[in-house]
Order: sequence, then structure tokens, then C-alpha cells
Amino acid sequence: MTAPTWLRWAWIAPAGFLFAFMVVPLVSLAGQVLSPGTIEYVSDSLPWRVAGLATVQALASTAVSLVVGLPMANVLTRYRFPGRRWALALATVPFVLPTVVVALAFRSLVGSDLGSGFLIVVLAHAYLNMAVVVRIVGARWSTIDPRLDIAARTLGASRWTAFRTVTLPALGPAIASAAAIVFVFSFTSLGIVLLLGDSNTRTLESLVLRQTSILLNFQAAAVSAAIQAIVVGTVLWWAARTRNAIPRGALRTFRLRRPLGSARWAVGIVVAATVVIVLAPVSSLVWSSVRSSSGFTMSWWAIFAGFETIDAGSTRIGSPLSAMARSLSFALVTGLVAATVGGLAAMSVLAHRLGRAFALATALPLGISAATLGLATMLAYGRPPVDLRATGLLIPIAHALIAVPLVVAVATPTLRSTDARLVTVAATLGARPSRAWWTGYGPTLRTVMIAAGGLACAVSLGEFGAASFLARADGPTVPLVIARLLGRPGEASFGVAAAMAVVLVVMTTTLVAAVDRGGRRS
Amino acid sequence: MNGHTLTCENLTIGYESALGEPVTFTVPPGSVLAVVGPSGCGKSTLLSTIAGVIPARSGRVLIDGVDVTQMPTHARKVAMVFQEPLLFPTMTVRDNVAYGPRRSGASASEARSTADELLSWVDLAGLGDRNIDQLSGGQAQRVSLARALASDPAVVCLDEPFSALDAPLRSRLAADVLALVRRTGIPAVHVTHDPDEAETMTLNNSSGSILSL
Repeated sequence: MTAPTWLRWAWIAPAGFLFAFMVVPLVSLAGQVLSPGTIEYVSDSLPWRVAGLATVQALASTAVSLVVGLPMANVLTRYRFPGRRWALALATVPFVLPTVVVALAFRSLVGSDLGSGFLIVVLAHAYLNMAVVVRIVGARWSTIDPRLDIAARTLGASRWTAFRTVTLPALGPAIASAAAIVFVFSFTSLGIVLLLGDSNTRTLESLVLRQTSILLNFQAAAVSAAIQAIVVGTVLWWAARTRNAIPRGALRTFRLRRPLGSARWAVGIVVAATVVIVLAPVSSLVWSSVRSSSGFTMSWWAIFAGFETIDAGSTRIGSPLSAMARSLSFALVTGLVAATVGGLAAMSVLAHRLGRAFALATALPLGISAATLGLATMLAYGRPPVDLRATGLLIPIAHALIAVPLVVAVATPTLRSTDARLVTVAATLGARPSRAWWTGYGPTLRTVMIAAGGLACAVSLGEFGAASFLARADGPTVPLVIARLLGRPGEASFGVAAAMAVVLVVMTTTLVAAVDRGGRRS
Repeated sequence: MNGHTLTCENLTIGYESALGEPVTFTVPPGSVLAVVGPSGCGKSTLLSTIAGVIPARSGRVLIDGVDVTQMPTHARKVAMVFQEPLLFPTMTVRDNVAYGPRRSGASASEARSTADELLSWVDLAGLGDRNIDQLSGGQAQRVSLARALASDPAVVCLDEPFSALDAPLRSRLAADVLALVRRTGIPAVHVTHDPDEAETMTLNNSSGSILSL
């Protein structure tokens, strides 16, 4: 293949971005952890107690996610029935919903009396993360020959024994991976815990936020973030070393089966449960946006008619419409930056011998929690001598950092699957290297970048954790406004928050659906 | 010969609609019934119905005179060998063969010794510790046969078990199966789309017969 010379240097821009906005902030954070006095915070019982509470909560959230997600994975990825694609897409919807929206939806579903505490936090986490189980375990389940179960039964195993001795061991690594990811998401949860948790349902993430923004104790916050990073690193390391139990040669995807006999009932029940589980909180949210104590109302939607500011005493809410405009502009910048940086990174993976290692490096931000990222960015660039908060760039940069690994994950396999011989053909027809490369990869790259940019926009619109650290008090994003409104009493606050959340749901799901559709077409 | 007898009486097969006419046949101890017919005529469905994987639409399945039509698959003692070996991917060769004995309540050491005995019988002694991806196609199918026999079945159903193999291996395995049927007295129902294979399996068996669907 005739690669243009500039392609060999394409890695410099993403590497520079990662260095400036991931490595430098993390070094600042490490500086805080390693400075004198740290031992005092390490020996403090508070972060360890919170870590214990978060571990119990994350284990419970993981267990519930598996209980809900495994039957869905079985039915939605192994059986053929009308509406299967829709049901699978529906099961994925909660994962793309912003966490504050999910918190608000659960609050509106169960009411304010039951709306906080351990159980509701666990249920909200299971709601958000069941898609992780469905996707990861379902992908593996579809590679297990359904006839193995029949073979086991003809050898004397009951249905349950056949599942326990044949199917479950084959699914083991996938279940472990999914469980590890759900555990990490729940252990590092911020939005759900802040809005639905009580004093016994906390995470280190929420502690870091409190230590940073209320107590202004950066060193204690850095220690809490470090403890969290150690737990997360240990869990991910455990998941990564779980051996793949199925020989690679035995893996292949089997055709979807038509459900017969009792399987029809199972399919019907699981699909109905999926619809109810996914839509109940969302419907409740929509209902809350048009309901007041006196009945049906559209008053809460009136906020979209002008730039009125909602303020109550010392609680600064700001203008919802301004927040909407601000979030959209952040999302746009995030999309542009993430698509450019991620796109260049994906192209480098393609062109460079060390491409694989580079791809791994670009995935590193995925392992960093939002609070750690927010705190580290603030330590490096959010206070003198380098205070970029006033520029409004820190939030889109942090969001882009979160989105770049997703862009690389979307772009790399698509670019890899492009026929490289097209470049050679173009070159033999007289095209210069850059033109030849663009002829081969350009059309795919353009589609993928638009899709990946859209995905990054969706991530930015709903992101809560990093924005909590980096937003100025007078410049909140939509998720922050929703969180502030939820902290205020009164049905007007709840109604306006619900109306904003509905708009956020429509925007994020539309973007993700468009990306999914574009991806399938390309 | 102490063996078992399989009888199907007016058996109608098919899930959503009946496939063909009701069939009635008896497979005496130590004999082979070859079932032939074009694709889609219900050969494999017949085996699945005998094994209880698919319920019978009407009629009865009897083993040694006992009606097993309503019995669940795992209680029937009808072992199946499929077109593909369908070995359990997370288990070693020996664990695959020991699977049936373990389900019948044999201890780990008893199941292991049964597995080793049957692996020797199919000329695979010494391969017990291998992973299944380290076997050739023919070896894997022989392990599948050994696994079916190790479960001490009353009936063996063979669903085109040789179709993916080359000619020399097919004749070798056919001979193995016939020897097994004679030695153990287990009746076998052998499905094939190849009339020559059906003849080989039945002509070499004193009480063999062919059923055309």
C-alpha cells in the first residue's frame, strides 16, 4: 500500500492531546497524593468506610443487573421473532440515557418518599447497566451451539443441569467481564448516588466531589481518588485475566432459532418485561413533565419560551434555556475535537507498526472515573497560574477525552475492514499518495467520523461527573441544572427538571439512533 | 443377547404440522434401523421425537415395552450422535466422555475409568487430557460416539454422524457402530440421506432394516 508520508505522523496530534489533557492532569493529581501530609488522609477512616459502602452497593447493583440482564441476553440474542431488533435496541436505551435523567425518572416513578436510599440506587444502577450484560453476555451466548444443550440432555442431564454444566461454564468469562464493568460503573457512580443516595449510600466519587467543591481539600480528594483507582484497577485486572474457556476455533455465530413450545412463553415474558422495565421510568418522567397537583399542565415547558433565570435564595439554578444552548455548544465542540483526535488516532493505528499499542493508550481515559478526570483537570488547568475555566473549554476537552476511546473503538475496525487494495488501484491509475489514500479510505472515514462525532455529542450532552467539577457556578450544563432543580423543593422545580430531562432523552437517543443507523449502513 | 428394544407405534412427528404419515416400527436388540429420505422429510425430527427433544404429535414411543412418550429427555436413556461432534467446548476429551456417567450418579473416578475404557475402544486412548480443539474431525466424531455409549443408553440415535467425514473414515466408523450394536445389544436408529450408507449399515447387521420416509 502506498501510504502518504503525513499519515506516519498523524499520531502526534492525538498523542499531544492525551499528554496535555490526561497525562499532565494525572501527574498533578499524583503530585497531590505524594505531597507531605498524605499519610494523615490515608489513615483517615472516612474514605475507607465510603469505599466499603460503595463496594456493597456495587456488588448488589451487579447482582441485580445480572439477574435482569441474563434472561434478556438469552432471549434477545438467540431467538428469532418479530420485533427482536426493536426489543434489543430498547434494552440498550437505558445505557445511553444520562445518569441524572435516570435518577429523575426513578424519583418520579417511586415518589419522593421512597425516592432515596440503597434500594433505589441499586435499582437505578441495574437499569442503567443491564444493557452491558445483554450486549457482552449476549454476544458470547450467540456463539454457543444451542444443540450442546440437547446433547447434554440426551446424556442424562436435566435442563437445569445442562445449563449449569455446559452453558454456564462457556458463558463464564463473558459474565465475569460484564460483572466487572457493571461493578466499576456502580462503584464509581456519581449522578445516581448524589441524587438518589442517602448518607449510607455514597461512593468515593461523591466524596471526591464533596472534598473538592465544599471542603476545598484537594489533597484529601486526591487520596480518595487514588483509593478508588486502586479498587477499579484491581477489578479490571481480575476481569482481564479471566481465561477464555472456549477454544477460539469452537466459536462461531449460530443462526437465531424460532422459539418453540415453552420457549415461546419465555420469549413473550422476557420481551414484555423488557418493554415494561425500560419504558416505565421514561414514561413516568414524561408524565411528570406535564403534571401538576391540579392536573395536566404545560407550564413546565414554558421555560423553553425564553431565557428566564430560575433562582431561589442561595441556590443558583440559572436559565434552563441558556444551559441548553451551553450544553449544545459544548457537545458540538466535543464532537469536533473527539472526532478529529479519535479519527487521527484510528488512522495512526492503521498506518503505524506500533498502532495497536497506541490504540490501547487512547483507551486509557475509559479507566479513569469522571470525578478523577474532573479533579485532575481542575488541578492542572482550573486554578492559577493556568486557569482555563473562564474560557469554557475545559468541559468540552474533558468530554472529548471521555469520548475519544469510543471514537477510536468505532473508527478502527471500520477502517481496518476497508479494502486497502483500493489505494493501490488509485495509485496505479496515477493518483498521488494522499489522493490515493483518500480514494480508498475517504468515503468510509467521512461516514465513520460523522457517526463517531455524533456519539461524542451524545456523551457530552448527558455527562455529569466531570462537568460537576469543571462548570462555573454561573455556567451550568443541562444535567447540572437538572441536579440543582432536584435539590430544590416544590413541584415546579421537579416539573421543569422533568421537562428538561425529556428534551435530553430525545436529543441523546436520537443522536445514538442516528449513529447506530449510519454505522449499520456503512 | 441381553439388549433393549425400541418400538414406535403410530408415531406422528412434526412441531407445527405433521410431517408425513404415522410410522410404526420395532428395532430389536442389537439391530440397526436405517432411516432414509430426502431433505426436510422429517428424518432428524423423528430422532428428536424418540429422544424427547420434540414432543410426539400422536402415537407412542416404547423402550423395552415401557411407554416413554411423556418422559423428559434426560430420563429416557436415548443417546444421540449428531452430524457434528458437538463436544462440550469447556471440557477435556475425557470430561466429555465422562459427562453421561456423572449424570447417572457415578463417582468421578468411576466416570473417569469408564471414559478411558471407551476412549480405548474408539482407538483414542491417551487423548483424554486434550482439549477438544486439538482433535481432528474424525477423532472428534469418535469421541462423540464414545460419549454417547458411556452414558449406558437403552437406544442410540445417529443423525447422519458420518456425513462430514471422508470415505475411509466413514467405513471405519460405520464398522465401529455395527460392532458396538452387536456387542451391547443396544438398538440403533441411523438417519442418512445416502441409500448406500443405509444399505451398508443394515446388510451387515443380521436384523437390520430400512425405513423410508
